[in-house]
Amino acid sequence: MCGQASHLLYLPQSEPHQQDLEEQHLLQISRSGVRVASKVRCKVGYFDSVCGSNLSQKLKLLRWWRCLLTLVLYEGRRLGFGHLLLKRKCREKKMEAHPTVNFMRLLSEESTHSSLSSDSCEYYQTEIFDQLPSIQASRPDQNTQGNWETHQGGPETGESHGHLSRGQKDKASTQPLRNMVMCIQGKRDARDRRKMQISNIGFWESWRRSQSINRKRFWAQMRGALLGLLPWQRTLHAIEGRFGVGVKAYFVFLRYLIYLNLLHCAFIGGFILGPTAFYGRCNSSEPLKFGGNDSVLDFFLGSGYLDRSPVFFGFYTRGSLNLLCLNTPLLYLAGILTILFLSLIMVVRRTIVGYKHTWMLGKRYSMNVSYKIFCGWDFTIQDPASATLKCSFIRNDLKLFLEEQSFSLRKAQRTLGQKARLYLLRFVLNLLVLSLLGGAFYLICFATEWSQSESGHHWLVSLVLQYLPPITITFVNLVLPHIFRKISSFEDYSFTTQVNVTLVRSIFLKLASLGIYLFFFFITIAEHQQCRENKIGREMYKLCIFNFLATFCNAFLLNYPRKLVQEKYPSSLLARLSGKQRFLIPFNVLDLVYSQTVSWVGVFYCPLLPLIGTVTLMAMFYIKKFTVLRCCVAEQRMFRASSSSVLFHFMLLLGLLMASVTIGFNLYQQEVTQNITSSCGPFGNGETVFNVMGVCVDSLPSLAQSTLRYLASEAFALPLILAEVIILTSYVSRGRANQKAIERLKDMLVMSSSDKRFLVKQHATMLRRKKTLTDRVRSAPSEEDANLKPPSTQSHPSVRPVHSQTSA
Amino acid sequence: MGTTASQLGKDLLSEYQELTFLTKQEILLAHKRFTELLTKDEKDLPNTRVSMERVLTLPELKSNPFRKRICYVFSTSEQKDGSLTFEDFLDLLSAFSDSATLEIKSHYAFRIFDFDDDGTLDCGDLEKLVNCLTGETDETRLTTEEMRQLINNILEESDIDKDGTVNLSEFQHVISRSPDFVSSFKIVL
Repeated sequence: MCGQASHLLYLPQSEPHQQDLEEQHLLQISRSGVRVASKVRCKVGYFDSVCGSNLSQKLKLLRWWRCLLTLVLYEGRRLGFGHLLLKRKCREKKMEAHPTVNFMRLLSEESTHSSLSSDSCEYYQTEIFDQLPSIQASRPDQNTQGNWETHQGGPETGESHGHLSRGQKDKASTQPLRNMVMCIQGKRDARDRRKMQISNIGFWESWRRSQSINRKRFWAQMRGALLGLLPWQRTLHAIEGRFGVGVKAYFVFLRYLIYLNLLHCAFIGGFILGPTAFYGRCNSSEPLKFGGNDSVLDFFLGSGYLDRSPVFFGFYTRGSLNLLCLNTPLLYLAGILTILFLSLIMVVRRTIVGYKHTWMLGKRYSMNVSYKIFCGWDFTIQDPASATLKCSFIRNDLKLFLEEQSFSLRKAQRTLGQKARLYLLRFVLNLLVLSLLGGAFYLICFATEWSQSESGHHWLVSLVLQYLPPITITFVNLVLPHIFRKISSFEDYSFTTQVNVTLVRSIFLKLASLGIYLFFFFITIAEHQQCRENKIGREMYKLCIFNFLATFCNAFLLNYPRKLVQEKYPSSLLARLSGKQRFLIPFNVLDLVYSQTVSWVGVFYCPLLPLIGTVTLMAMFYIKKFTVLRCCVAEQRMFRASSSSVLFHFMLLLGLLMASVTIGFNLYQQEVTQNITSSCGPFGNGETVFNVMGVCVDSLPSLAQSTLRYLASEAFALPLILAEVIILTSYVSRGRANQKAIERLKDMLVMSSSDKRFLVKQHATMLRRKKTLTDRVRSAPSEEDANLKPPSTQSHPSVRPVHSQTSA
Repeated sequence: MGTTASQLGKDLLSEYQELTFLTKQEILLAHKRFTELLTKDEKDLPNTRVSMERVLTLPELKSNPFRKRICYVFSTSEQKDGSLTFEDFLDLLSAFSDSATLEIKSHYAFRIFDFDDDGTLDCGDLEKLVNCLTGETDETRLTTEEMRQLINNILEESDIDKDGTVNLSEFQHVISRSPDFVSSFKIVL
């Protein structure tokens, strides 16, 4: 250590102006580089967070910015010391190789090296690059190690070290130890340093800090315990390990739907089941009993026993709870509305959260390739087979991307004739798609009408007849998406567009077929039936049950035997024909969305549908798990978890909207065509869904009445809309301004970076010249070095004192 | 399990809990797994290093293409041989744990991807990175032309200051926009 120190002293004495020059360069580089870089990064982050991220992130960024700025302020002092470090580090490196070589030779060797590299290499390969503050900031552990060394080295270096470490302490004390990027030993040292600080602060403060740590630990434990309560963590982990994030996203979505349905069940229990069980029904003369001409078939048809049970709308008649503003119809309505609103809020929230990410990722910063590379590997994968699989995914994905890039190039070069032909082809194919959709809808409507026809057939025939519409819908939805997939391959879209087009068409098919079915059903049902709502509820019940049965049969009667055949006779014709099974995430999600939509439509007519949904979804989870783990090989094309989950929730949102529209339409139709007065359910005696609220409002005191009426009137709606418009406009314009600022800051960043590069290169040339100089100095001292010194060196005397202090 | 509890003192355990993102159970499990890697006589010595080869036999790391880089990055060994002490191992698990912050994760990811340890991701690093991702053998590798196109694309997107390399802040800039990263940069025992 002592010998090194003497070397350190030796350098500034021998070549004072050279030292100055380098320092000045470093100073400039650091100032221009770090300050602008930190500023720009911080600003960019800040603006993003204004548009998207949460407050804590913003605060973190700001804090970070402040720390960096303080760091930059101390840079000047620190540089002198950092510079010495550089020399020593280089020398130590060389010392290992030639332990007895003298100092002058070392310097020249080093500069030879640099002059060689400065010609052929980029600037980041010059040795000064390691000394750039921005690079040092990215290596905090080495940095602190270095500081540690010098701290032990002597009291004189401790002076310059103190400033830096104070800056670091500033940064460090604001964040918990575990957030620091260093090894455990480093964290221990940091903690020791921090403990000293705490003891300076005093007893009260330290007690408070330890309390806050304890509190944080407690919350972390609570969160850990709650997370442990989440079911199926292990299963999800296993699935993720074998099939990647995309398939896991499907199962997470499934679990989310189960939670949603459980929540619905709680509301149903609170608003509808509870009061009915408590206060009874007015005409509950005969107790609910399974017997007479009821059969097991009723559980599939939803008739007979089930028709009288609490499953359907008709069961819930007005009981003894008969206040003006607290009665069964009102509670019923409140329960259903709460469920729909809550679902809307939850689904919109999830969609928005995901959409924000993809929007920021897709539109404003296209960083697709970088994501594929930097976030490409899924570190959770453990199985070697799935690792090779993942490799091939990534390879295919990259190739696909490169192909698409060349595809867009080709697309730009298309001639007019080719374009015309292509558009014609697309037009024809779209017509084909439309006609297929039309045919499918006709089929559904035909099946609906046919199933409504009364007949005294054999029970099996009538069962099939009853289930005809669900069967048709499922069949259509099973076949057509595959045809769409084939069709879209002819349309000469890029691959991603192909998948998306197929998906959009399938969504449309699925939801529209349900809509068409409901529409025709509502129309045809109007003529007969004394309890119309029960009938609708029964249809929804059947759809729900059939969907589940289809999943069940698909898994155990189709997929599993297929897999068995493939395993037993891998060379047979059948096995080769059927091919490998893949878990097609979008279509599976579509199924889930469909069943959830059915559940939302039916919840008004069949309040126990969420409960049934929960049970079937749980069973579905295990069935799908079995299918995936037992029968499927992973898909060729990976789905990014984020973008796909946005898509899932968007589909769910569409389903919810459709369900609300359907319910609204049906109730409205019922209201308009006055002839059908419902003879069952909570709404009787001329009460309808629409006027039951009015009765309650009328009973309120006049002030509350007028307030409510004002809130519901146009006079209130108009200012509300205006205020919303103003707020939105201000946000949009702020977003635009931020966008412009980001662009400008990016330009600045590029400029400052090119400055940095220029200076580093300049510095490398300096070193080279110095090398020739030192060579000459060794042979014969000359006055050339005096010419080298630029006049600006004298104008920065402030850097010198640090050195004189160090050398003193 | 009883022996491990006795080996890891209560103070040490709570210290590790404070310094890492791991919970008590995870630390105990990590200790158990780590002592399984040691030989009989090594078990008695404090602070033994486990060579990289033996660390890489863990199933969690075995099929990871970046396994060697991970060891090098987390190793505090003087010889730069990638050997890990128990504390290094805890550091590794902490960075890859569920509760580690994005900043920590992205920082370590950057260092893992920085194959030549020079503080930036230059063309050579990116090429090695892509080769790791696609598979090392000749038939799985991308062609030179494809690689060139790809690297140009990456630099065009994420090299904001246009200096020909991706530095840490640019890297974190990219990563911070990826919602998948935190969920996929994870190794749980």
